[in-house]
Amino acid sequence: MRLYLELARTSFQQQFAYRAATLAGLFTNSIFGVMIASIFIAFYRSQGNDTVASWTPDQTVTLIWINQSLLMTVFIWGWWEVTRSIQSGAIVSELLKPFDYFSYWLSRDLGRAVAHFLLRGIPTFTVGAIFFDLLRPAGVAAAFGFLGSVTLAVMISFCLRFLSNLAGFWVLDHRGVSMMYVAIFNFFSGMLAPLDFLPDTVQTIARFLPFQAVLMVPNEIYLGRMPIWQGLGVQAIWIVLLTLLVKRILRAGEQKLVVQGG
Amino acid sequence: MDKVADFRNDLAVALRIALLRIRGQMQYRASFWMQIVGNFFVNIAEVLVTWSLFQHFDNLGGWSLEEVILLHGLAMVTFSLGDTLSNGVQSVPQMIREGTFDRNLVRPMSVYLQSVVSEVSARHFGHLTQGVLLLGIGLATAPIEWSVGRIAYLPVIILSGTAFFTALFTVEAIFAFWTVNGVEAVNAFTYGGSDLGQYPLHIFRRGLRLIFLWLVPIGFMTYYPALYLLDRADPLGLPRAASFVAPLAALLFCLVIRFGWRAALRRYTSTGS
Repeated sequence: MRLYLELARTSFQQQFAYRAATLAGLFTNSIFGVMIASIFIAFYRSQGNDTVASWTPDQTVTLIWINQSLLMTVFIWGWWEVTRSIQSGAIVSELLKPFDYFSYWLSRDLGRAVAHFLLRGIPTFTVGAIFFDLLRPAGVAAAFGFLGSVTLAVMISFCLRFLSNLAGFWVLDHRGVSMMYVAIFNFFSGMLAPLDFLPDTVQTIARFLPFQAVLMVPNEIYLGRMPIWQGLGVQAIWIVLLTLLVKRILRAGEQKLVVQGG
Repeated sequence: MDKVADFRNDLAVALRIALLRIRGQMQYRASFWMQIVGNFFVNIAEVLVTWSLFQHFDNLGGWSLEEVILLHGLAMVTFSLGDTLSNGVQSVPQMIREGTFDRNLVRPMSVYLQSVVSEVSARHFGHLTQGVLLLGIGLATAPIEWSVGRIAYLPVIILSGTAFFTALFTVEAIFAFWTVNGVEAVNAFTYGGSDLGQYPLHIFRRGLRLIFLWLVPIGFMTYYPALYLLDRADPLGLPRAASFVAPLAALLFCLVIRFGWRAALRRYTSTGS
């Protein structure tokens, strides 16, 4: 356990080294936040600012900013460390080391997520609150529920990323997998719009997929649209299922692994 | 040999290299098709969301779904053409970090063209296909009174936008000659710009409008030409000529970027070894 805490701590500290990158990222997230929120505000104006698909204008705009703020914390895109080490063959020595390979990366990822929540999440949301009327958490319980839910969301997102990385055992070039993953995630996670705006069939499919547990659930808890325990429960189930799946596939991959050279 | 012949020669070589690179990628067949399909779906997701929103909302800043689709198509076609053309240039920052950029300087060929073909990626065809589809749907369904002027102007819009996006994607490479930190901010202008170009400009706040019209003139590439195609008045009050500024704005933008690229090359000192 001490090892994993130490791993999380160093990965947390690493993030503080990239000051310019942090500012640049904050700028980019903010521009996108302002843009997407403006689109929704214009849409709502055509409807006399009424509630649409059970979402008020303020709730929708708040969701957009929470999504932009959480983007880096849940770190949806661009993590291919495992694929890269499969490609380079480094995975062999990594698997031999006396720690659990999955827990090794998970603890590093949790450390990174805490840093990104502080460095990117809170500042982005603050920018949003300056330019738009963002809602506060539905209550004290909702606020704490939200923090818990974000933590679980990071773990789900990590499992999903880890899974798509493991595709590297079977596919040599990860770019195709990466594109597919982004496409599916964007559509089913509620990242571009609250899921309730999508056609009914899509919503039904989305509810049975893990992607909405990464963004929609934290949002619904924050806004008080979903009982806290229900949201956390759904997320917990996904973590258990995905972890089991990861371990299985990792084992299958190890069996299949052929490394060239010595 | 004069400069024009030199350039034509370079272009022929560049084309051959590009074709070889695509053939190379096709060796990984599964990945090749997944990339194209994935790229197609990434953007389909966004369009499906736009479509779904129009099932709930009446209009967007007074624009109908068909009109917005037309804007989506214009922005996507020009963006993906520019993205394809500049894909290699986008990997210049990495080449600088790894020290592999140096070899481009000693070969007898335009450094820019060499960078362009240093990486040619097939995945963009997915995006382009979709852009063409959307543009087709938009042109067919939006209320356009076709005239000789409108038909003739359409290719001009596409060419200008393509040149503009190619130049815009070069900005990141130029920055990389000075610093490798903070280049992510450029994404706000490239990806942000193309996203913004997909929607009627007048729904955005003043600050954004000023940036994406006068600093990064994406508004002149999609929104204003679309106003002309749709015969709409400009709620922002620019003169009607604003719809025809696209080629000029693209040219100016390219010249500025060319100046920046040359300054960057002059300044370049290798990372060594």
